[in-house]
Amino acid sequence: MTPTFTPLQNDAVLLPERLVDLLGLGEFGVAGEVVAAFLGAFLVANLMMAMTGVAGPWAKRKITAAFTDRIAVNRVGPFGLLIIVADAVRLLSKELIIPDGVDRPAWDLAPILIASTALLGFAVIPMGSGIHLADPEVGLVFVFAVASMTSVGLVMAGYASNNKYSFLGGMRAVAQNLAYEIPLIVVAVSVVIFAGTLQMSEIVAAQAEPLLVIAGVTIPAWYAFVNPFAFVLFVAANMMEIGRNPFDTPEAPTEIVAGYQTEYSSVYFVLVFLGEFLHIFLGGAIIATLFLGGPAGPVLPGIVWFLIKIWAVFLFTQWLRSALPRFRIDQLIEVGWKGLLVLSFANLILTAIIVGVIA
Amino acid sequence: MSSDNPRDAIVESTAPLTDTRDARMGAGADDRFNSPLREAFGTQPFILTKFDKFMNWVRGSSMFLLQFGIACCSIEMMHTFGVKHDVDRFGAGVPRASPRQADCIIVPGTIVSKFAPRMKRVYDQMPEPKFVVGMGSCTISGGPFQEGYNVVKGAEEVIPVDIHVPGCPPRPEALVYGIAKLQERVANGESSPVVVKPYELEQFGDLDRDELVEKLADEIDEETLVMRYNWADSP
Amino acid sequence: MSADEELVETTVGSDLDADGIAALLGEAVLDREEHLNAPGFVIRPDAVQEVLTKLRDEAGFDHLSCVTAQQYTDRYESIYHLTSYDDRQREVSVVVPTDPERPVSQSAEPVFRTADWHEREAYDLVGIEYEGHPDLRRILLPQTWQGHPLSLEYHQDKPQIVTLDAHKNPLEADHRGNSETMFLNIGPHHPATHGVLHLKAVLDGEQVADVEPDIGYLHRCEEQMCQAGTYRHQIMPYPDRWDYISAGLLNEWAYARAAEDLADLEVPEYAQVIRTMSAELCRIASHLLAMGTFALDVNGDFTAAFMYAITDRERVQDILEDLTGQRMMFNYFRLGGVAWDLPEPREEFFGKIRDFLDHLPGAAEEYHNLITRNEVFQLRCVDTGYLSPEVAKSYGCTGAVARASGIDYDLRRDDPYGYYDELDWEVITEDGCDNYARLLVRMREVEQSARIIEQCVDLLEDWPEDDREIQSNVPRTLKPDEDAEIYRAVEGAKGELGIYIRSDGTDKPARFKIRSPCFSNLQALPAIAEGEYIPDLIAALGSLDIVLGEVDR
Repeated sequence: MTPTFTPLQNDAVLLPERLVDLLGLGEFGVAGEVVAAFLGAFLVANLMMAMTGVAGPWAKRKITAAFTDRIAVNRVGPFGLLIIVADAVRLLSKELIIPDGVDRPAWDLAPILIASTALLGFAVIPMGSGIHLADPEVGLVFVFAVASMTSVGLVMAGYASNNKYSFLGGMRAVAQNLAYEIPLIVVAVSVVIFAGTLQMSEIVAAQAEPLLVIAGVTIPAWYAFVNPFAFVLFVAANMMEIGRNPFDTPEAPTEIVAGYQTEYSSVYFVLVFLGEFLHIFLGGAIIATLFLGGPAGPVLPGIVWFLIKIWAVFLFTQWLRSALPRFRIDQLIEVGWKGLLVLSFANLILTAIIVGVIA
Repeated sequence: MSSDNPRDAIVESTAPLTDTRDARMGAGADDRFNSPLREAFGTQPFILTKFDKFMNWVRGSSMFLLQFGIACCSIEMMHTFGVKHDVDRFGAGVPRASPRQADCIIVPGTIVSKFAPRMKRVYDQMPEPKFVVGMGSCTISGGPFQEGYNVVKGAEEVIPVDIHVPGCPPRPEALVYGIAKLQERVANGESSPVVVKPYELEQFGDLDRDELVEKLADEIDEETLVMRYNWADSP
Repeated sequence: MSADEELVETTVGSDLDADGIAALLGEAVLDREEHLNAPGFVIRPDAVQEVLTKLRDEAGFDHLSCVTAQQYTDRYESIYHLTSYDDRQREVSVVVPTDPERPVSQSAEPVFRTADWHEREAYDLVGIEYEGHPDLRRILLPQTWQGHPLSLEYHQDKPQIVTLDAHKNPLEADHRGNSETMFLNIGPHHPATHGVLHLKAVLDGEQVADVEPDIGYLHRCEEQMCQAGTYRHQIMPYPDRWDYISAGLLNEWAYARAAEDLADLEVPEYAQVIRTMSAELCRIASHLLAMGTFALDVNGDFTAAFMYAITDRERVQDILEDLTGQRMMFNYFRLGGVAWDLPEPREEFFGKIRDFLDHLPGAAEEYHNLITRNEVFQLRCVDTGYLSPEVAKSYGCTGAVARASGIDYDLRRDDPYGYYDELDWEVITEDGCDNYARLLVRMREVEQSARIIEQCVDLLEDWPEDDREIQSNVPRTLKPDEDAEIYRAVEGAKGELGIYIRSDGTDKPARFKIRSPCFSNLQALPAIAEGEYIPDLIAALGSLDIVLGEVDR
């Protein structure tokens, strides 16, 4: 770890440090630490991308199919699982069309930015079982900062594509993100007031105590239970942040074709697609960390619980996708500024009063 | 090929053609066919043929279809995506609205003079390798509207078609069969001809013009280049 | 359907008979004709606006149903088929002959907005020019087309040769300018256009400043095809392909009704009941798809409502397949009846229909839960896409679109045919005038159709076995009287589907004109969508429930 980060108060050891011990890299000094850090990042990124690989081509189809009484892929491999290989390789092997008049560096950078920023957010998420890359004191701020970087990518993609549909999609993405970042963060602040820290591991640790015991079952002090109001607000704002139904206006097929990604094919499309799904998972990870006790859970190891929680969020997004109509862009912004923002501040003040009175 | 006598040419059986091809290339589908890698890397490429095979399997196992509706057949196409027939079982059930992200276009209906150039444009916007399933009689010959003044006599006048599914409209089962058949063909390496793109043609712009080209280039005036609506009779 | 309603709705001049109308029109009338459906008045080509205004304001003919154009050897002729929204059985034809050398007549566009597209079509296909028309361009064929294909001197085999320059780019080159607005081509390939419609939209931010539908991408020469076929058998397959959303039998009925009235054929009562039942099944199938695709437009793809609608449609199609042998292109009606009797064993067939009817209320409840009762959906659809009754009438809107604007107009009741007047059912109207009302009307009409089917099944079950006549005696070669003209309409899935046939004494029609409800309904799109947001434009288009096969024919 770089020395700017304060050491942890609890016993958990970060993944790179474990790797240093495990592989005996300690004797190489800083170089060893850098190698271990890269190795850790590589492992986490691959875990996340593997999940996206399962989610995008396979799980999404299967889940949607389950909602509409269908079967979906079942011919390619067991349960159609080999479709993951087929889809990934096929998309990567397609011709990369670079349309006339695209704004070159921006057009090329946008997909990379969309995918990489979403990936970067996982660096500070405690995933349990010791998988935690970095734990800066301002972890929560960091994760929101990189998550909202994605909208820069969307605007770049929309603007550089030289396509009016993309342009509309990009503009919608900006408007939407402006309207939802603020409530999102204000709700998160209410959690910070409870926990008294911005450090992710501390927020998770603060949720470990039991809240109450009903008939022998201990309910932990997850903030979803402590403050369900904030949880609902956060899930709603998060849906808009990651741009899924009913808030998928920037992409909005049937309205603006495919929004900002209309002109992307082949590898770039894979990156955009990857970025979208990583973003859903990152949103799930933030929800899990802030409200669902992070990797906490009985019997099973922490990482499994963590994955269950973010897949639950993913499932939730797909459920809404099958069931809910899409908001119109102006209504969406109205809901954001006039509804969610007000409610989130009300929640913040309420939390502040409660915490102030109790503490 | 000139289509001055398009209907007469197909009266006779195609067996001689098939026989000739079999005699030259061996019977049945030749999975070494159409392999640029093989041409590039020589004669004993065990790994590369396996790689080719893998790529063909990949392309045949999964296809994104273009969300594209023209006429009556598109209703049956919706049913093909629907619960009872569920073409997604074959890995071909993801409709993409943007042609940039599609592998396969189903042409579901009659093509008329006003739409033909637009359909060509949509096809051109799709990335290689791309496949076409012609759905219904109209994409074969113009179907019941063949005699119409405005109707293009089959999709093949405009874009190359890999599989024709006859019917007016074909039942969803027939379309599922057509798609499965296309996937089988692709998996066997019998892919569609690659279309030369304008920018690829430009790469040959430096070549010396031979006498014939010079003569033609002198003769052709852009003003006299024509576009015809009755596609069947165009040269 | 109450009697007092009809009393109240009596409007000015509705008591005028043919002579009264002649007196009203005065010296504009050159001659009188007798069409099989209505009296015809031959008028001067420069008095069109005057005559139509008088008929609309003083005689109560407020519905310009159709404009037919045709060429005789000695003249061109435009026929304005007028009727009234309040009393569909009052009809009048205004015949406008024009000079064969210089076919110019006055445009009716200032009187009826719907004449805009109808006259453009007449110009495109027949070649009559309309003076005072705001925008007389080709509408169905490409702008560079040479000749008018339904005129007498047109040679189809002559190549259409257009210089490359004229067709270099079918899209406009560059729309950038100093303006504040953005030009956007929606279609002809776009996921929300329900086929191959091209909307030329001008956007001000996200708002639609102007939209112009550009049609003709599916103009399959249906009228020419029908003119080339014989009455008895060769025309009937084509109607299935106009409104192809499984509404085939409704379209077939439109042709059957016009041709039967033209040739004076009887239809046995038993066949009428079968027709009524199967046609309403088609209506259910059509409305289900309209609902499903509308959910697709508003919810986005992968919505469950669409898949459920397709599943239910599949059940209707199964029943229709049992009856007719085809899933979509039925070709089941014959002139004078239907092709064959109900499938044996009849009990099984009736059981299948009853199963579906029993399933329907539960399904409808589910759709209402999924779609119409959803708050977000209501937020999206209520009060968007407003179409006032006056504008709807002026554009000649019919069907669910008109009924959702509070216009109580349904040909099944107002101009009874088939077995409808013997059955107990209601015409659904809504006063919302918005996207939501248009959807709601369709969903409620499905319930009414189910009622009709149930009564028909009851009737058919008890029908005496020795009286099951499915077809009346029809001559092998049907040759209606020379110069007989008729315009007859039925309530298709989308609205008033009318057929004009002129006979020349042979076994093929001399002129076959289709009045498509979608054509008129789509024309109202600019009036609906202007000032709305893009998503509402898409929703408005979905709620109009157009089908391009019928718009372009």
